Amino acid sequence: MEIDNKNLYGVGALFTSPDKVSEAAAKIAEQGYQNWDVHSSYPIHGMPKKMKLKWSPLGYVALILGLSGTSFGLFLTYWTMSVDYPMIIGGKPSFSLPAFIPVLFELTVLLAAVGTALTMLFILFKFPNNRHPLHDTDYMREISVDKSGILIEANDKKFNYDEVHTLLTSLGADKILDIHLDPSEVNYTPKILEPKFLIFIIIVAFLTSFLGYFVNNKLLFMPPFDFMVDQHRNDVQSRSKFFADGFGMRQPVEGTVARGQKYYPFSGKPELAEANLINPLLTTEEVLALGKKKYNTFCSPCHDYHGTGNSRLNGQFPNPPSLHSEKVRNWKDGHIYHIIVEGQNIMPSYASQLTEKERWAVILYIRALQRSLNAKEEDLK
Amino acid sequence: MKAQYDYTIEPEVIENSPTLAQINDVIAAPMEAPPTKGWKIALAISSTMLLIGAISLGFSFYYGTGLWGNNQPVGWAFPIVNFVFWVGIGHAGTLISAILFLFRQKWRTGIARFAEAMTIFAVMTAGIFPLIHTGRPWLAGYLFPLPNQHGLWVNFTSPLLWDVFAVSTYFTVSLVFWYVGLIPDFAMLRDRTKEKVKKFFYSLLSLGWRHSNRHWNHYEMLYLVLAGFATPLVLSVHTIVSFDFAVSILPGWHTTIFPPYFVAGAVFSGFAMVQNVLIILRKIFKMEHIITIDTLEKMNKVLLATGMMVGYAYGMEFFIAWYSGNPLESFVFVNRAFGNYAWAYWIMVTCNVVIPQLFWIRKLRRNLVVMFIVGVFVNVGMWFERFVITVTSLSRDFLPSSWDYYKPTLTDFGILIGSFGLFFTLVILFIKFAPVVSISEVKGVLKSSQPHHH
Amino acid sequence: MSLETFWKSPTDLKFPLLSKEAKEKEFIDGVTDDFNPNELKGLSRRKFLALTAATLAVSTVACTDYHDKGEIIPYNKKPENVIPGIANYYASTCTGCSNHCGILIKTREGRPIKIDGNPDDPITKGKICAIGQASILNLYDPERYRKPRKRNGTNFSDIKWQEAFNELLSKVKLANNTGSEIAIITPKIESPSQKRLFELFLQKYPTTKIYSYDTMTDYPRRRASELCFLTPEPPVADISKAKVIVALESNFLGNEGNFVKNIAQFTENRNIDNPENFNRLYAIEGIMTITGANADIRIPLNPTKLLDLVLSLISDLLNVKQIANGTVYEKVKNYNLEKFAKENNLETKQLKYLLRDLVENYGKAVVIAGDKMPVDLHIAVNILNDLIGARQENNESILIHDFETLLTPLSTLNDFEELIQKVKSGKISVLINFDTNPAFDLSSMEFESLMRKIPFTATMTDSETETALASNLIFPINHNFESWGDYKVSNNTYTTQQPVIEPLYGTYQKEDILLGILNEKLDKNSYHKFVKETWSTQIFPQSNSGVNFNEFWTSVLHDGVYQLPSSKTSFPKINYDAINSITQQSKSGYTLTLKNSYNTANGKYQNNGWLLELPHPISKITWDNYAVVSERTAHKLGLESNKMIQIKANGKLMEIPIFILPGTVDDHFSIEIGFGRRAAGTIGKEVGFDAFPITTLKQMFEGYLMNLEVIPLPNKEYKLATTVEHHSLNDNFTKDLAKKRHIIQDGILADFIAGKEIVEHTHDAKSIVPEIEYNGVKWAMVIDMNKCVGCNACVVACNVENNIPIIGKDQVQRGREMQWIRIDTYYTGNQDNPEVANQPMLCQHCDHAPCENVCPVVATTHSPDGLNQMVYNRCVGTRYCSNNCPYKVRRFNFYDYRDQFANHYQKADSLALMMNPEVTVRSRGVMEKCTFCIQRISEAKASAIAEGRQVRGTDVKTACQEACPASAIKFGSSNEPDSELYYWRNHKLGYHVLEELNVKPNVTYIARLRNKVETKI
Repeated sequence: MEIDNKNLYGVGALFTSPDKVSEAAAKIAEQGYQNWDVHSSYPIHGMPKKMKLKWSPLGYVALILGLSGTSFGLFLTYWTMSVDYPMIIGGKPSFSLPAFIPVLFELTVLLAAVGTALTMLFILFKFPNNRHPLHDTDYMREISVDKSGILIEANDKKFNYDEVHTLLTSLGADKILDIHLDPSEVNYTPKILEPKFLIFIIIVAFLTSFLGYFVNNKLLFMPPFDFMVDQHRNDVQSRSKFFADGFGMRQPVEGTVARGQKYYPFSGKPELAEANLINPLLTTEEVLALGKKKYNTFCSPCHDYHGTGNSRLNGQFPNPPSLHSEKVRNWKDGHIYHIIVEGQNIMPSYASQLTEKERWAVILYIRALQRSLNAKEEDLK
Repeated sequence: MKAQYDYTIEPEVIENSPTLAQINDVIAAPMEAPPTKGWKIALAISSTMLLIGAISLGFSFYYGTGLWGNNQPVGWAFPIVNFVFWVGIGHAGTLISAILFLFRQKWRTGIARFAEAMTIFAVMTAGIFPLIHTGRPWLAGYLFPLPNQHGLWVNFTSPLLWDVFAVSTYFTVSLVFWYVGLIPDFAMLRDRTKEKVKKFFYSLLSLGWRHSNRHWNHYEMLYLVLAGFATPLVLSVHTIVSFDFAVSILPGWHTTIFPPYFVAGAVFSGFAMVQNVLIILRKIFKMEHIITIDTLEKMNKVLLATGMMVGYAYGMEFFIAWYSGNPLESFVFVNRAFGNYAWAYWIMVTCNVVIPQLFWIRKLRRNLVVMFIVGVFVNVGMWFERFVITVTSLSRDFLPSSWDYYKPTLTDFGILIGSFGLFFTLVILFIKFAPVVSISEVKGVLKSSQPHHH
Repeated sequence: MSLETFWKSPTDLKFPLLSKEAKEKEFIDGVTDDFNPNELKGLSRRKFLALTAATLAVSTVACTDYHDKGEIIPYNKKPENVIPGIANYYASTCTGCSNHCGILIKTREGRPIKIDGNPDDPITKGKICAIGQASILNLYDPERYRKPRKRNGTNFSDIKWQEAFNELLSKVKLANNTGSEIAIITPKIESPSQKRLFELFLQKYPTTKIYSYDTMTDYPRRRASELCFLTPEPPVADISKAKVIVALESNFLGNEGNFVKNIAQFTENRNIDNPENFNRLYAIEGIMTITGANADIRIPLNPTKLLDLVLSLISDLLNVKQIANGTVYEKVKNYNLEKFAKENNLETKQLKYLLRDLVENYGKAVVIAGDKMPVDLHIAVNILNDLIGARQENNESILIHDFETLLTPLSTLNDFEELIQKVKSGKISVLINFDTNPAFDLSSMEFESLMRKIPFTATMTDSETETALASNLIFPINHNFESWGDYKVSNNTYTTQQPVIEPLYGTYQKEDILLGILNEKLDKNSYHKFVKETWSTQIFPQSNSGVNFNEFWTSVLHDGVYQLPSSKTSFPKINYDAINSITQQSKSGYTLTLKNSYNTANGKYQNNGWLLELPHPISKITWDNYAVVSERTAHKLGLESNKMIQIKANGKLMEIPIFILPGTVDDHFSIEIGFGRRAAGTIGKEVGFDAFPITTLKQMFEGYLMNLEVIPLPNKEYKLATTVEHHSLNDNFTKDLAKKRHIIQDGILADFIAGKEIVEHTHDAKSIVPEIEYNGVKWAMVIDMNKCVGCNACVVACNVENNIPIIGKDQVQRGREMQWIRIDTYYTGNQDNPEVANQPMLCQHCDHAPCENVCPVVATTHSPDGLNQMVYNRCVGTRYCSNNCPYKVRRFNFYDYRDQFANHYQKADSLALMMNPEVTVRSRGVMEKCTFCIQRISEAKASAIAEGRQVRGTDVKTACQEACPASAIKFGSSNEPDSELYYWRNHKLGYHVLEELNVKPNVTYIARLRNKVETKI
């Protein structure tokens, strides 16, 4: 007896008749005990009053949670539909309260109901708690079946082992039991890094990473999953599985004429071009600007920015003759145009890079360059 | 015999007053006794049905909704019908445990727990359908109020979204309600059992409950709060489900009577289902004195009442269709009764309105066989009600050019069977592993258990 | 339980005593205040979770291999006038049938993706039919032959081109040397180059004989023309000049002659802003056709009675107009309308009106008899036409001899009978099928068995045909869009054909092969050169244009069509004696007519899924043909639709399901030819029922009008796949709903002119919420139902433009058709002679779109320019939008149809080339619908931005609008008061379907006016 007392948790008394318990509870409450409790496997009517318990606050908790649910719903619907991503849906205003009411209501109920329950279990009761001294005691077992009981804890200020015993007997308890703490529990000091636990974590980590990889990169691209990522069509500059060469973009057939395609009558006849083609453009600011842009993009790599022919490609590529030569200066525009269209010697055709207008603009720019190197008298004026 | 029919005195909730210990034994018995032959057979059947459903679903998921009978005008058919049907079944539970609780109907104690369980399972079954009926089920996540990669949210004006909220809320709240009720019973089982494994799980589930009256104090308040919230919730759920139809513009769907009509229907079918299963349950587990004939009779009265409401709704629909003077409306309803789906319509009327009238007769109302059969009919009828509403209205809508007849496929039936399989499998497992009657409540209502106030 | 394995909270782990204490004073508030997880050392559950989450994140991010690598494959030599992303257009010629309409082929990066009419074509003016639109599918058909195939025994094996060519060459030479015949079976020859090619061929191989035929063509009319005008080329009607048109079993708006031209010319005078000029169409026919559906007055009459009718008309005409014409009078004196009407219990009044219209509109009326009607009828019609002044020697003449396009005459009945004899006597040693399929469409002469008697048969075809499978050698040839060519389309008009892509399978075009035989050397470009040669030697000289030939040729190819400056139109006098050749044959009992098919060009396009799935314009049946029959006759036989009958005609048997069609005369059957191909790839094989075998060769030349015996097979059912429910007009519950619900609103022209209200509006529809303001363009469409004849061209155009899949017969049966635009056909009135109304139905892009409110994931919303948009990627497929759409124009991908249909047929790589790169290819489980061609709208916006201006409604043409031969569809912005669309949208005949729903559609329908006869006479 004496030895265990330091481990004593409390003294419990078991009753059969509900009347006796409630009277007893009333008495003990009057005696001014603090840490004591009545146990029964079903709520006994009027017990809270007898035990002088405070009115449960859960009602207010529910009220607050409910209201916050409503306001959250209101905010969510309003903000998403009218502020964050407003859209025209069925010609209705983006904030249409009547349509939101069901959602508000549901959120209210959800938050209130679930919140209150969780508050009770985890905040008021501090559940889960399976290591309470009362568990696995005969006291608890009896209560579970048909008895009800009163327990006075050893750490109550007024607690005195013998007094409590006499008191409980006087209240007509059928049976009185001492309830002790389990010494193994009291002296238990847990190892922080149990190997079991570590292994467990590592395994989980591997599983998650494997699953993560599999799901994100494999599973989601197997049938039936379809996110319309791989389109069964040939987009611009895409590969084609059909053609052996893999080019989705095809060359037009030789000799065909597309709409808007012009006929170039002077192919292979520069002199004819020179004779017949006249530059339609006038030397203006923006024409020269255009010409310069195009010249610098397409011509300058070989001909150099000033048409000297001494270019960036110097060495890697035979230098073209200078554009300032007597010959070129005396060429009519048509001749240069012809060369741009058809190329000459190792210069390829630039027809596909330069539109008609651009070609003429480039020619004017070249003229300007030529002028700049060998200016004439009247330029000074 | 005679006394039984005397309604002047409130009959005892629990007959031939057993002791508290006896109650423990009776209710815990199914969980402790080794599984009976009957239970095994039942499980075998239900899980086979479940398997059929699973396979059908698997195929639908892989190949697409094309495996069903749905077509151009009839975009919704079996899956949505099943959804509404099961949500309806799910109504009895919360109604019994919440509303009857608020009305202090003691007779509910015997059946409350079980009804709640059925609610949970029915809603679980129902919850499957909104997801699987979509064309791309793997994107069902889009239905939840989260922004996608472009910051696009969901459409809060869509009834389907209200459904998502309503059903999930209803499920969560019912679950909490049910679980909170179970905690003390799990504690009882924990203290009772000798087996290590069982003890482990029961301790886990009971969260360490110890029958403290300080806890009971909060506990009862919580129960009241939950009941208070569950009551409007249970009414709202089917109201919102009915919005799926009522809010659309389709003649035959666009009807203001739908919310009350659907709720009544839900309670109707829910009670029928609960009553059916209870009849079997009390027989197998010898709980005749806990789930009494009086309780069942009360349920039948509710059935009769709600049946009449549904019948009234059918009539009213026709009246409004005629009274509104809208040719489209009247066409739809004439088409329902005499058009290409007349057969479904008349099955519905017979099962839901005609047959329940038997309950006017007290003898039949208290006859197990009769009430069982009626219950079955009611469930069939209520399933067809949803079918009639959904399919007939769609199959012949505004433009005659888009009309088409809907024929269900094998897959459709497979999934329907599967839904029953899932439901009953859960029920059967539940009665094996959890107390089907709330021990603490039953104890609470025993005369001997409460102090005599003087 | 053991504590090692079971601890409940970190507190328990770390501070057992604290938690013990906590347990004891658990009723004191704030006991948990001293619990702070962050102070914990070691592993808390939070940290554990964090760790797991981290590993997940790391692993997934680190190991991601995202599928789309963003690979870019540019041109390595960029062609001069191709800009990636910008479409190029090539003018060419459609060779789908012998009309040779000019087409404009849209190509993207050198791949053809869409076909439209060539606006420069003087005849069809930029419109083509559904078949032409869909023919692009055949180019990319994954089942095209790739290599020449040689028969050994019963099966074929691929061989080298050179090998195959050498064999053919040697066989031809051998035949030529041994003096046995080389028979070449060709279609109509209307190409100058082909003509020249064959001439040269004949010179080199004189034992060659050309047999050319065309099952689509109007043999009887040609025969009659020979008798009446002494020229095989019959005059062609310019319908735009006619005020009264009488169609005798003629489907000139549907599938006979150049119906695209006819539709355009017919609807020209159906402009409600000019009601006085409305023409009037009488259709006198045995079954409902497109022509009948668009007729103002339709008289159901058994085709066998037509001859009597015409003769009666002539005789009454002679009396009324006091014309003395001995020969004719002699023939017709015993006929008159009264008598005729009595005999066939028609209203005499109606026929009198008809006569009056013909008399009063001298020179402004024309009578057209059906292509497949007997020669006698055509003779009578020719004479009637001359009497009513339809054919005159001036420019006002409706009938003009301006279409002598045939360059070598079609083979006659004798030619073919000789052919049979020669084969029997083994005089023919080589047979070459020049892209023809006689084994199928000449089965009236059992051509297949004939072929097997010929020692060597070669067939040129691009895909599997009965003929190919019956021959020794198969030459895979180019598709039209891979070939060069030229065609004569009128006396002075030529169209050119140029390839738009290199042959996909390295094939040769059929002319190349013949040229090869000619030059004894196979060369890919030979025919290209040959065509140029033809033009430089034959047409260029006549053009007397100043430029050199190359420039001329370039411009011709550019335009795709060339008109010679001078045109000589002959005017042959009519030979009235021809009437004496009319022999009166009376037919009694059941009668049968065979008609051209609407969608498959008599079998040529049987392997084109788009066309097979195209709902029949009248019956809405897809993937089948059937015997049309009246309700009364069907019941008399104890049958319903979808029941089989057995037909015995010309002593030959066939089985076919019947279909009850309103407006069919009793005891009369009608079947479309060209179905039931025995070999046409996976798509076309054994679709429908082949009616050719029950015909005789003679009937091909003299008309498909015959007697038959019918054996009902009530126990045999065959489900036809239709896209709509069919209800008998005797069922009062469903009868005339379209009109009762104001879906179809129409009226009488006379009432309109008299100023009566034609359309009903719902004026009191109000919205409880403020309207959304749309500034700038707001897209809208107007469909003029006075012009729409229901030809389906828009449907196919939409299919091609918007990558719409083929779904197959079983899916159509389930009611899951995918076309974004459909033509609703409503029958009203009585079963025997109903009124028919066509209504193109597409997404109405409602301002108050009901579909948008109900989508839980905002996958369908409204754009600032008033479009109802569908966001495929967001769609989860609840189908709620479709349920809530009053027009049911939304289409759901119940399967991934590209995968599901005909085991992945549409997943073939070749078909990926055909897809419009600007339109998403939808997967399964996604809702889709008409987008008003949003890709074209954004294209227009882009160019508007480039030009630094606002986009205008007139900048965009939708695919359906572009395709509509009747220009019934108008598209633009309803916010531009000066625009044409605005005018029509607010026209007093305009109405919205289901206005009372107040969904505010953006598609307006113009009520159709019927030019009925004023009742007074």
